[in-house]
Amino acid sequence: MPKLRMTGRGLWITALIVPPLAFVALFVVYPIISAFAYAFFDWQGLKRGAFVGLDNFHTVLFVEPYRSWTLNAFKNNIIVFFALMVLQNGLGFILAYALWRELPGARFHRIAVFLPVVLSTIIVAYLFKLFYHPLFGVVNITLRNVGLGWMAQPWLGQSGTALWSIIAAQAWHMVGFPTLVFLAGMQRIPGEILDAVRMETESEWVKISKIVWPLVAPSATIVFTLLFVGAFNWFELPYIMGGLDGSPFGSTDVLGLYFYRTAFGNVSAGQQDFGLGSALAVLIFLFIAVIASVITVRLRAREIQI
Amino acid sequence: MAQLSLRGIKKRFRDTAVLHGIDLEIGDREFVVFVGPSGCGKSTLLRLIAGLDPITEGEFVLNGTRMNDVAPSRRGIAMVFQSYALYPHMDVYENMAFGARLMGLDKAEVERRIAEAAQMLKLDALLKRRPRELSGGQRQRVAIGRALVRKPDVFLLDEPLSNLDAALRSEVRLEIAKLHREIGGTMIYVTHDQVEAMTLADKIVVMNSGRIEQVGSPRELYETPANVFVAGFIGSPRMTLVDVTRDGNRLGIANGGSVVMSALPQVPALKLGLRPDSVRLVRDADAEGLRAVVEYTEYLGDNAFVYARLADGTLLSARTTPNDLFAPDEAVTVQVDPASTHFFSAEDGRRLVLGGAG
Repeated sequence: MPKLRMTGRGLWITALIVPPLAFVALFVVYPIISAFAYAFFDWQGLKRGAFVGLDNFHTVLFVEPYRSWTLNAFKNNIIVFFALMVLQNGLGFILAYALWRELPGARFHRIAVFLPVVLSTIIVAYLFKLFYHPLFGVVNITLRNVGLGWMAQPWLGQSGTALWSIIAAQAWHMVGFPTLVFLAGMQRIPGEILDAVRMETESEWVKISKIVWPLVAPSATIVFTLLFVGAFNWFELPYIMGGLDGSPFGSTDVLGLYFYRTAFGNVSAGQQDFGLGSALAVLIFLFIAVIASVITVRLRAREIQI
Repeated sequence: MAQLSLRGIKKRFRDTAVLHGIDLEIGDREFVVFVGPSGCGKSTLLRLIAGLDPITEGEFVLNGTRMNDVAPSRRGIAMVFQSYALYPHMDVYENMAFGARLMGLDKAEVERRIAEAAQMLKLDALLKRRPRELSGGQRQRVAIGRALVRKPDVFLLDEPLSNLDAALRSEVRLEIAKLHREIGGTMIYVTHDQVEAMTLADKIVVMNSGRIEQVGSPRELYETPANVFVAGFIGSPRMTLVDVTRDGNRLGIANGGSVVMSALPQVPALKLGLRPDSVRLVRDADAEGLRAVVEYTEYLGDNAFVYARLADGTLLSARTTPNDLFAPDEAVTVQVDPASTHFFSAEDGRRLVLGGAG
């Protein structure tokens, strides 16, 4: 009897685990492995050619013009990562702290801050494209109306401002996420610990830097890691707002766009190269996997059990 | 030096009034205990003194300075919290050093004070440990140490023993009493446990629903409780309070016998307050006294408490010797020692004084 029950239990577990495992294997593991494989071959369109070893990797890293394109996109990703670290996570932390202190209107603001996160990226992208419109955009109109007309400019149309404008849209879109995670972390801090700090200092800075920040470290680990992965996989927003070429002049080009263009081609370039694209994808994957693991392990070590 | 004056302190949370006007003087080096049932406002009052919550109305003066609007960290007050509230990411040393450094003390002074506190509280071996590596009693000592290091004028302790197990509780209680003798600061201690209050306090403040019922030494509260609330709260087991009707010098309960007193306050109806050791139970059903039926007996080794239901339904507690145990359902007569009986007004519950105007 017990043996039969064990079998039934085993069947259950099998039935529950196999379908999702098969799904993940088919749509996640298999593409990753095949991308690894593709990267070592020469491709003519969809037709696989000869095995070329590390040639594709060599080309994207060291042969012009790929070398400059790769470096440019990588540099932009780094800018995006650090900018969002400050704008999205930094602002998120400050917003979370303000919401947590239950300042007047906290209930409304909690919803207001998180609402954009729910919006589809497409909507946010088109919305901000309208905002940034040189003539009819709300940004320039507002600037002109408050007497700052000299600051009005084609935000998405010049190399100097395009990337930052898209970063700002991204920060607005997702700032609610780190806010929510930090807020949850802060709400786990027992009230008496905060009372204890208040008995010893009235400085908000000391409270935040010496008590609150160390105690929300687990939230920081999550938020940092996800931001890192997100920043180096960034695609939708620059794709819609800057176009597949990262215009103007590659100033909004990032690794995601560059990989897509290389692998699948685009209207203006017209060429596609699966081998080079796959090599890029593999490099991006390895870079993200290694750095994200290091971040996670490093930050985990700092975490404290409350 | 610390001299605290609370003058007409009121506290409201939105529309809910929690404290209804507290007047209290606390002198230097006094050990004062706020005691009362949960929800009576004792912890709220402590938080007002600490500055953690704003005072709605009234004045809090410490050493001649009005403190209402002074930040908690500038009042010269340290607090020990119920949950200890140690900083989980700092070791014991850092927990104690944190506040001391913020006071602007130099490194050598901070070290000296921590060494002193650690020695007094036997924390020397634990200085490098994190709070989660400590037992409840050890955490408690660190919390006290953190307060000590700041050398405050006033120590506030909010139910500091309630998270400890019973054995540890009496041990730490003794340590706190000893500590108060050694450092001599003014201590204000909140508890709902009247035993803690009785054993520790120079002065007990009994509170009930946002008001002070009585202030006095443990002996005063026990021997001359100001009203039925204090009478029922202080002393264990509780004082029995019985409604009696008066006929000359004879006090009776509804179809349950009566007792004769030599002197009585001059009021028609009153409450009789009987401590467990001011009554005697006899097995003679015809004797003069109040009729009662035994419900159960608590045997405590050195003595025993008998709980008996009086004819009017009141549960009476009486102390007997361990050799004189009563069985459940046994009919007994309760004899009263007139000298140690308390009288309270049946109307407002105030203490009635013999021979007074009443």
